[in-house]
Amino acid sequence: MKRFDPNDFLIRDFFKTKQKILKGIFWEKRLFWAKFLIIFSLAILWFRFFYLQVVKYSYYYKKAKERSVVSYVIKAPRGEIVTSDGVIVATNRAVFQLYLDPELIKDREDAVLYKLSKILKEDFGILKERYYLAKKSFLGRVLIKRNLNWDEVAKIMVRRYYLPGVKVEVEAERYYPYGDMYFHLIGYISKITMKEYKELKEKGYSMEDYIGRAGIEKEFEKELKGKNGAIEIERDAYGRLGKVINRISPVPGNDLVLTVNHNLQVKAYELMKEKNGALVALSPQDGSVLAMVSSPSINPQKFIDGFTKEEWKRINQNPDNPFLNRVLQPYPPGSTYKVITAIAGLEAGVIKNVNDTVFCSGYYKFKNRIFRCWKPEGHKSVNLIKAIAYSCDVYFYTVASKLDIDYLAEVSRKWGLGKPTGLGWSEEKSGFVPDRAWKEKTFKEPWYPGETIIIGIGQGYLLATPLQMARVYMAIANGGYLYKPYVVKKIKRVNGNVIEIAPQIEKHLILNSRYLEWIREGLLEAVRIGTGRGAFIPGLLVSGKTGTAQVVSLSAKTKKDKSLEHHAWFVSYAGWSQPQIVSAILVEHGGHGGAVAAPIAQKLYKTYFGIEEPKKNITKLPE
Amino acid sequence: MGIKGIKENFREIFWGILIVFILALLGILNQWIIAGNSTLFWKNLFWHLAGFTILIFLTFLVDYRKIPVQIIWYIYLVLLFVLFISFILKKRWLSLGFVVFQPSEFVKPVLVLLISLIASKEPNPYLKIRTLVKLLAIIIIPLVLILPVDLDYAFIMMVMFVSFLFFIGIPKRIIIAFGLIGLIVGLVVCPVFWKNLKPHQKGRIYGYLNPEKYAKTWGYQLNQALIAIGSGGFWGYGFKKGWSTRLNYLPAKHTDLAFAVWAETWGFVGVSLVLLLYGYLLYLCIKISYIAKDWLGKYLSLGVALVLFWQAMFNIGGCAGLLPMTSIPFPFLSYGGSITISAYILLSLSFNTALKRHFFK
Repeated sequence: MKRFDPNDFLIRDFFKTKQKILKGIFWEKRLFWAKFLIIFSLAILWFRFFYLQVVKYSYYYKKAKERSVVSYVIKAPRGEIVTSDGVIVATNRAVFQLYLDPELIKDREDAVLYKLSKILKEDFGILKERYYLAKKSFLGRVLIKRNLNWDEVAKIMVRRYYLPGVKVEVEAERYYPYGDMYFHLIGYISKITMKEYKELKEKGYSMEDYIGRAGIEKEFEKELKGKNGAIEIERDAYGRLGKVINRISPVPGNDLVLTVNHNLQVKAYELMKEKNGALVALSPQDGSVLAMVSSPSINPQKFIDGFTKEEWKRINQNPDNPFLNRVLQPYPPGSTYKVITAIAGLEAGVIKNVNDTVFCSGYYKFKNRIFRCWKPEGHKSVNLIKAIAYSCDVYFYTVASKLDIDYLAEVSRKWGLGKPTGLGWSEEKSGFVPDRAWKEKTFKEPWYPGETIIIGIGQGYLLATPLQMARVYMAIANGGYLYKPYVVKKIKRVNGNVIEIAPQIEKHLILNSRYLEWIREGLLEAVRIGTGRGAFIPGLLVSGKTGTAQVVSLSAKTKKDKSLEHHAWFVSYAGWSQPQIVSAILVEHGGHGGAVAAPIAQKLYKTYFGIEEPKKNITKLPE
Repeated sequence: MGIKGIKENFREIFWGILIVFILALLGILNQWIIAGNSTLFWKNLFWHLAGFTILIFLTFLVDYRKIPVQIIWYIYLVLLFVLFISFILKKRWLSLGFVVFQPSEFVKPVLVLLISLIASKEPNPYLKIRTLVKLLAIIIIPLVLILPVDLDYAFIMMVMFVSFLFFIGIPKRIIIAFGLIGLIVGLVVCPVFWKNLKPHQKGRIYGYLNPEKYAKTWGYQLNQALIAIGSGGFWGYGFKKGWSTRLNYLPAKHTDLAFAVWAETWGFVGVSLVLLLYGYLLYLCIKISYIAKDWLGKYLSLGVALVLFWQAMFNIGGCAGLLPMTSIPFPFLSYGGSITISAYILLSLSFNTALKRHFFK
């Protein structure tokens, strides 16, 4: 039996008290850690919400909007294009478009498409293929059929209840009332591509937008486009559309007023219709474009309505490339260049007097080489005026042989060749003016004097666009003012503001007035009695120069066995003291300028000045 | 006791009840945003009124020190029986005809009480092993019954009560031993456990790990919750304006994702307000645990704090993508009769402790 020890109580009490104290201390510590755990965890939660709601707010808001708001684009109507005489040449027309919303017909696409195929009398398979193809590239709704007729609209509206997700909407669509006539001038528009859409999304383009591809439609895209509007509609988790939360009205594009004269353009188109070539008419008073035609042409409406497969193939594989605006393409200028040689000769003092004559025996001999005149029997004795009038090659060979090529190039550039004219279109080519440095750089050969002689009559490496040649003659006609050509004279904003575009002078060429007189006289004589007689109009002073550009020289390798006929040129102006119109006409492989191009100019001027066409035939011309 | 003394004595309870009242109002507002003028809203309002009444009643008219252990044991056994029924029926909710309730919700207050009652008898800073085993058994039996019907809740309650035991005091060697055993068993059991998970349970894990990839399938819920929360921004959409709520993009918006609705509607400001109020409530519980005069009160109050803390953590963390998405409600903001009543009962235990500490001699 254990003996009682009073100390035991004390020890046990001591331990009990110690445990109690320890328990209290431990508990305080544990509570501290519990508090720490709670505060720490809630702080993490708080930071997480800060990250989600403040830092990543825009990301999640975008996702929420994409998910719960459907945005329908209201396309802004493109600006209209009007000629100077008030004819609307590009406008918009209202059409009914049939849309399908894939979200709303998720599980019954086939059923809806089948019903639609019955209504539209189209093949179910084709419709289905088109739908699935379009679905891939469209966000939101899918365009099923454009330009519905009244009958189809009525049928669909009546059956609307059985056709969920089907929508018929009225939209403005581009319409070109004059089709082919204005193709190269106005250009055309087509659907925006995926790549362009990604780049232009920020600028307010939608997936269904059209974008200008050529001509004015391209160069004035910014003005014509306008600003798309939108309707934003809520969509719930089951795909049902709710209320409209936002409606932004579209802002139509700005209207453009052209400098072009409608009658002249139509006439020019008719004159060039069956040929390949270019026609451009400018006003020498301000450089405005009066008409611009390139042939062959395409109907721009087809880019909206769609080409059939054969049509598309025909256009795309056409060796004549109807897409090219030939007014802005470079060609050897031929004899139309001779005025530049004459100016260079006069300024350099090579031609001292108008009556200095050169004897043309049909050829020109230079260091054992024979350069032939176009007229084998020769022009006999010719002075400057006669040389221009009859386009005597020997005269200009003689002048050119005494000129330095670098000087000739300098004069050419001064008159606007070899560089863009200032029209500002990306399609425009610069043409080409050769010089010594270029030749040495490209061919590692020195410049031969014989080559200058060839350049003197507009052959050789020289290339100029019809617009550039028209500009040279414009400066001759108006006394040396080299205007920048322009097509749009007014931009009409939606709010009624009108921006007038003023003509711009690139430079004023100072040329001795006597020299200018001589050249003008030569050009006048050319139409009166010389090579350009085809353009003669009684009662109107027409001055001009024919040209027959040899195609073989530079591009012999590329042309191969294609037509080796020369390009026919005629560059001219009508009126004497204050000429009203200057034009450049080029007919590809047309033959001689006097026979092919000059009569076109004659008809063009008659239309412009309102002179009746004579019934009798014009006397047959030599060459 | 003068007036000043009374004021001092009632401070914690005053603030506690005020915050509970504000949270209840916010919860009612949240259900109004979600459900509008529907039966669900009125039912929720009723639960809050009933819960608040219970809170007042239990706080002021009952003395936790006089709770007989036997009655708690009886309640525990009845609860086990009910859980057993739900286990047999494989139903999370049981219907009594006039009311549907979720028995697992009531496990929380009962276990907090029972654990505190048993543990408070221990004089030492660490629990004796015998007591520990007893407590673990008490915890695990109801959880095993819950496991097949509500895996998430069983797991979360495990976290709640193990952490509670941890704070009450588990000897270090036991923790280390359990940690090691747990690790080894976990490595062995996990693959088996993984294989036996239902596809939707596995999907939750997939969705948690990559919500954007599984946005249309397993991650749908989380993805929608994240969009709702994130698009709320700093100020929120405003009353009844949130797209996710209004256009039905949020699944389970009444219950599991009620907090996402709140975050969408009131933005970061609203979230901060609720976190602040809720955090202060938890802080109060811990403070009460600190100032309580006896061990039963200290344990009770800490248990309440921990249970409410984990409940909020798993719900909010789940919808914010920090923790795997679980289907547990958030007290006050979510709809649910059982969760609301259970939360009020839990809080009344803590408040009662605070009140009665002045009645010690």
